[in-house]
Amino acid sequence: MSEVKMVGLTIDGRTVRAAEGTNVLQAAEQAGISIPHFCYHPAFEAEGNCRLCLVEIEGLPKLDSACSTVVREGMIVRTSTAPVLEARKDVLEFLLAEHPLDCPICDKAGECKLQDYYDRHGLFPGWFLEAKEKRQKKISIGKGLLLDRERCILCTRCVRYLRKVTGTGELGVFERGVRAEVGTYDDAPIDNNYSGNLVDICPVGAITDTDFRFKTRAWFLEKRPTVCPRCSRGCAVIVESVSGYPLEEGERRVFRIRAGENPAVNGYWICDFGRAGRRDIDEGRQERVIKSASPESELSWQKALADVMARIRSVPGPERAAKVAVILNSRMTREELTLAKRLFAEGLSLDKIFFADPKPGAADGFLLTEERVPNARGVLQAGFSPRLPDLDALAASVEVLLVFGSHLLDHFSEEAVSRALAKIPSKFLFSAHTGPLDRLAEIVFPLAVSAEKSGTYINIDGLRQSFGRAAEPAPGVVSEHEILGCLAAGLGLNVGEHDVR
Amino acid sequence: MSEDAVRLIPADEGSWRLEAYLRRGGYEAARKAVMSMAPADVITEVRKAGLRGRGGAGFPAGLKWSFVPQGGAGPKYLCVNADEGEPGTFKDRAILVRNPHQLIEGMTIAAFGVGIRKAFIYVRGEYGRIAGRLREAIAEAEDEGFLGGGIFGSGFDLEVIVHLGAGAYICGEETALLESIEGRRGQPRLKPPFPAVVGLFRAPTAINNVETLANVPLIIGRGADWFLGRGLPKDGGTRLFGVSGAVRRPGLYELPMGTQLRTIIEIHAGGPPEGVAIKAVIPGGLSAPALRPDELDVTMDFDALARAGSMLGSAGIIVIGDKIPILDVLKVMARFYAHESCGQCTPCRIGTSWIHKTVMRIGEGQGRASDLDHILRLADGMKGRTLCPMGDAAALPVQALVTKFRDELEKAVAR
Repeated sequence: MSEVKMVGLTIDGRTVRAAEGTNVLQAAEQAGISIPHFCYHPAFEAEGNCRLCLVEIEGLPKLDSACSTVVREGMIVRTSTAPVLEARKDVLEFLLAEHPLDCPICDKAGECKLQDYYDRHGLFPGWFLEAKEKRQKKISIGKGLLLDRERCILCTRCVRYLRKVTGTGELGVFERGVRAEVGTYDDAPIDNNYSGNLVDICPVGAITDTDFRFKTRAWFLEKRPTVCPRCSRGCAVIVESVSGYPLEEGERRVFRIRAGENPAVNGYWICDFGRAGRRDIDEGRQERVIKSASPESELSWQKALADVMARIRSVPGPERAAKVAVILNSRMTREELTLAKRLFAEGLSLDKIFFADPKPGAADGFLLTEERVPNARGVLQAGFSPRLPDLDALAASVEVLLVFGSHLLDHFSEEAVSRALAKIPSKFLFSAHTGPLDRLAEIVFPLAVSAEKSGTYINIDGLRQSFGRAAEPAPGVVSEHEILGCLAAGLGLNVGEHDVR
Repeated sequence: MSEDAVRLIPADEGSWRLEAYLRRGGYEAARKAVMSMAPADVITEVRKAGLRGRGGAGFPAGLKWSFVPQGGAGPKYLCVNADEGEPGTFKDRAILVRNPHQLIEGMTIAAFGVGIRKAFIYVRGEYGRIAGRLREAIAEAEDEGFLGGGIFGSGFDLEVIVHLGAGAYICGEETALLESIEGRRGQPRLKPPFPAVVGLFRAPTAINNVETLANVPLIIGRGADWFLGRGLPKDGGTRLFGVSGAVRRPGLYELPMGTQLRTIIEIHAGGPPEGVAIKAVIPGGLSAPALRPDELDVTMDFDALARAGSMLGSAGIIVIGDKIPILDVLKVMARFYAHESCGQCTPCRIGTSWIHKTVMRIGEGQGRASDLDHILRLADGMKGRTLCPMGDAAALPVQALVTKFRDELEKAVAR
């Protein structure tokens, strides 16, 4: 690899070294000096249209935009002199002149760059005495996306994103001067699997998502990173949830999932399919242990697990290989899979270890892969050879069946599954979501989804990514890791808890 | 040789025809350049002649050409800026109508000097009918082997394409012009890179105004010294001064660079009509800050007008008589820039519109005492802060009117 040439410059009296080709805005950021900006986004070429990042560069007669100025050896940059601060204030005043002051009802309030910058660099009395332009405030521009043209500051990030990242180019700028506005061509909607990123990159509340609109305020949200579990790409995502917020029955916990940054995997973007994973966390969840014999009774998962252990123990050791079966899945973390391997394959010497995963979908040529599970490589690395069970064979010989996840139904009809399970005396379901399998199981355990767990996934390129818990699980919800650990302890098996990797 | 031979706007019968142009000695300079000069010598000669850009900025043309990388296998382009949109300006139109071959000959020489084989003439949409005459002239020149493949039997080719704009002032800004030719929304690009390095279709590109290129055959045909002798040292040649407004003989006057503004108005254009006194003069197209009657003893050249706080710009002289309220001038000015701002960058998009709204409110009798100061502050917010020169073009003339005619405007505000 050729060595990156470094350039030395001075920003606000500080000596800064930046790679050749870096712009002044980035170089300053690396040195911890933030220069306010709207239109600049590191994923695109500088456009220089917002004029907020104007700085003083020694030797130049005028202020110049930091986003479009490339660092030079010996360059002297000043980012907070009186003329720079004056220019910033003026740009904010221009933008706010035509911007509606509807922050109290704007979704972006609290995370709006215009609001933040006014607070930090503006704070001027309003001088605009004229009539503001009236524009359309609620235009549907595609899947769940609404455009408010009064709030738009014409930074054109959205236009450039659709031209340069998705290559679909659904948005353009029409008209000119103060009448200029963003819009779709002949009302053809934005239609690609990456349209949700438009909401993330809009610096103001001009593009909003109907899934989030008017649902909560940004400042209530706790933002934690994790890895998207919806395909094997392993994109960085941010889960935004509320905790300690008075929740009504059925109210949301997770309000949205946004793109996280990971230059090695997804850059700044995630697909709409991954973003819609919000629903997996909040909707259709299994909330408590349900025993079919007494569905109304409150039962802790620890107590219920004692029943599972008793059934396994009731099968004599030498017969377990044939009579006890488990069905796992590739959404389990690398740590859980190791534990499962030691418990089921090595500890209990089971032969019948199967996998049931969602069926592959179509890859979209950008981030979304065919595999709709995050850890297929983790399954292989844990030493499993994943295969689907033969339902007839299961029905013929198995006495105790542990099913993790509900994806048998992706491969077999509900009727076929229920016919097979009917012949198995003891069957236990561990699932995050409610579904048709519930009524077939003796006990259903409510599992955590991946956002509620910590662990490691290995993505399609073999990249190992560890993540922490991004959302608090509801009380009573349990991870596979805890279930497997308890089973091992209860069955007297040493699975090396401290060496699960 | 007739006087017409050295005039940009000849008066002979059918002056736009090739035969008339040949009678005036046309295409001899191009022949001389292509057949007997080295390309680098063409550029040197034009630099020596002190030919400054006639579009408005006054950048030395030869120097501009010298920034285009020499040699190289990739394409390079010449773009002719015929998007004459500056209010008060009608000189390029006259060249296109009366002397299109001199432009074509100038283009041939420029292209030969810079090593270009393809040129575009960007004609403003409003000049659609003129473009027909231009196309005829191109066809005539091609038929005679003055344009196209193997010019004058040499190995030098030049293809010329006429491209019609759609009526946007901003497309006269050179990088917006490039965007427009490329088929995109006409709005300026960030500089650097400059078009000489990254221009049309990302290739090195020379961009020159019509009048600038029409002067080139005179320089190559008669020499840099002759050309300098017709103007000022470092600012050679004549200039087409368009005079409009409160004068007896509005029109286009080709005079040496450095002619006194007062001479042009009083002598050539006949001064203001009976009973009218001059209130203000805009010396170089609407964007040039206005001068008061006591400021007219200035020579019309780039440096002298810059020293006077204005600019030569496109040399379109607008004479404003004392019957015209300055507020009316301000209204027309503010409306024009608000209408023509491309909307790309914040200070110009909002600043032009804000000034326009304020001026219109004053016009409706709703002025406030603070309005004039506020207009000056808005102009300050635009000056030097925009992506392209249009911010200055819109802010400076407004600021000049408000500053120099403050008393009259204050009465209008208080009305």
